[in-house]
Amino acid sequence: MKILLKSAKVIDPNGRNNGKKCDILIENGIIKALKPQITSTPDMKVISEKNLHVSPGWFDMQVNFRDPGYEHKEDLHSGAKAAAAGGFTGVALMPSTLPPLHTKSEIEYVKNKTAALITDVYPVGTISHNHEGKELSEMYDMHKSGAVAFSDDKRAIVNAGLLSRALLYSKNFGGLVMTWCSDKDIAGDGKMNEGVASTKLGLKGIPGLAEELMVARNIHLAEYCEAPIHISSVSTAGSVQLIREARAKKLKVSASVNAYSIALDDSLLKDFNSNYKVNPPLRTSKDIAALWKGLADGTISAITSDHAPQDIESKEVEFDYAANGMTGLETMFALANTHRGKMKLEDLIGCISSAPRKVLGLPAVNIKEGAAANLTLFDPDASWTFTEKDIRSKSKNTPLIGKKLKGKVIGVVNKGMLGINMK
Amino acid sequence: MTKLSTKHLLGIKDLSEQDIQLIFKTADNFKDVINRPIKKVPSLRDITIANLFFENSTRTKLSFELAEKRLSADVVNFSASSSSVKKGETLIDTVNNILAMKVDMVVMRHPNPGACMFLAKHVDARIVNAGDGAHEHPTQALLDAYSIREKLGTVKGKKVVIVGDILHSRVALSNIFCLKKLGAQVMVCGPTTLIPKYISSLGVKVEHDLRKALEWCDVANMLRIQLERQEIKYFPSLREYTMMYGLNKSLLDSLKKEITVMHPGPINRGVEITSDVADSKQSIILQQVENGVAVRMAVLFLLAGRAEN
Repeated sequence: MKILLKSAKVIDPNGRNNGKKCDILIENGIIKALKPQITSTPDMKVISEKNLHVSPGWFDMQVNFRDPGYEHKEDLHSGAKAAAAGGFTGVALMPSTLPPLHTKSEIEYVKNKTAALITDVYPVGTISHNHEGKELSEMYDMHKSGAVAFSDDKRAIVNAGLLSRALLYSKNFGGLVMTWCSDKDIAGDGKMNEGVASTKLGLKGIPGLAEELMVARNIHLAEYCEAPIHISSVSTAGSVQLIREARAKKLKVSASVNAYSIALDDSLLKDFNSNYKVNPPLRTSKDIAALWKGLADGTISAITSDHAPQDIESKEVEFDYAANGMTGLETMFALANTHRGKMKLEDLIGCISSAPRKVLGLPAVNIKEGAAANLTLFDPDASWTFTEKDIRSKSKNTPLIGKKLKGKVIGVVNKGMLGINMK
Repeated sequence: MTKLSTKHLLGIKDLSEQDIQLIFKTADNFKDVINRPIKKVPSLRDITIANLFFENSTRTKLSFELAEKRLSADVVNFSASSSSVKKGETLIDTVNNILAMKVDMVVMRHPNPGACMFLAKHVDARIVNAGDGAHEHPTQALLDAYSIREKLGTVKGKKVVIVGDILHSRVALSNIFCLKKLGAQVMVCGPTTLIPKYISSLGVKVEHDLRKALEWCDVANMLRIQLERQEIKYFPSLREYTMMYGLNKSLLDSLKKEITVMHPGPINRGVEITSDVADSKQSIILQQVENGVAVRMAVLFLLAGRAEN
């Protein structure tokens, strides 16, 4: 299959073709030619969109596909479709399934079932056996089978000893430990960020402190173990500062932030709309500003969607009982792009392409002749309204339906396949 | 103005000052009515009201039921523990089943904040919030402010201190919103563990010394300590709470001016306030109860009136 991209602007911050406007010919999954002008022939699928931009394929290092166990919310195929529609050619899959991704069997299940899909799916194995936070899982075996990293996802590891053993043990084979941070005794039974908004709503609050205490602890543990650690879902100004200080000390600490955490604040909960109920909870505009600053100075390197599909029965209930999470793959780029303020487009693209691959130790993807064509096609300036028709996920738990966003994904190219979003 | 600006009464937050004044004016009329030999008026004849209580309540339920009956509404009652409902039928299904039997208005108490707003979005009936978790209890706040207005002539400019568990209290939150809208100055007082960290963002003063708070105020609203609502202990013992935040007669008498004492009930005698304070002439606790019926009649009447249009 031959694909010709006409007059595409290359956004590839680390590549030699960054900023060029050119035609790109892809043949059998390889970038064959990249020139100012390539004449099309009838055997080519030609893509010539207004304001066409092309970047290395995007990567989302924190998504949930609910398969195995909760396939009515999402399965590997529907999740991958949502990913491709959102411009992602690679995702890292969190292990909160049933059973959890905690042995070689589940890792291989995910790898095998997704091998032929346009989006590469990289499973993340659990740190603890059976996702219980007690004993280590067989991390090495999972690593050999294709687990890209290890995390207990949204079950924060209470036992500091367990986390230190995980950090030390995974060092043997270069496995990366990712931790989501929340001290359960401080977070208590909280349902949203503790602040002015929670006070007005009478909802129990989760103080930023709950996250920061555990971020600080985990940084100490990583320092002691001389091991790398990744802090996922950073959501408070205090956490950004802790990570900044750790990185200044040359500790191997990396961090990522969810797109909703840099775009939406807790005042949106005023009508008790459970689609805004996420964990970490939406924080304040002050936290949002600090998170963007953290992205700008490299404290936080990657932006994630934290795609968390939920069925209607889990969401359309009293706020206290509603499950956490919103879907995010289809809107992640647009949401971040709409709110990026002064951040340059190419820096934002770095946060959703090269940076997450680097954190996970995956090979870099660049746009150059002879390289595999792993590309995202998009228009960063298009204004559009997100509707139910744009949803590829099995679930619709997003507060963004009907919202106007800036930046639209045109399609993806990967493994010789082309995925194009309908207009 | 003869109509409220809202379709439902979900919280004081949604009301304007004019709405509150309209409710008070209407309540004045109903207070006359309930003090006549014949206490009943035909205002809501042919209107059916369901009282749905997903949490225990004695006096609020009774007060609403009396208000409804004195307006000649038809009344049905439904009580269930929230846990049994949670396990089976959803809240929307429960309420829609009741509405299918042609009910016009719903008065609901529920343990979850926002439950009434959630319901208002999903079912087709007028909703009156009779308390939703630690969120709001609007009719309580209205009757409290109405009672202050009755006793002191106006609410504007008065200094009101709310004492007790502010963290878990919908009464405190609705009272703060209501009193602020009417131009009162509000202070909260209680142990630090029971005062929300961000409470001063609502424009209230915070004081932890009961004597200082009482010296400052014109009215003290002594909240009930609701141990059943605290899953964690926020103070070591009731004894110690009473030592610091209990109002007794000698403290009341030692104040420079004569303050008004309120309590939303039911009273833990000897805990928040001693019996001699509750029964003193400075206490308006029973007037609050009486005004509760008049204020609830006004709210139901005004919301139903809008329903006819």
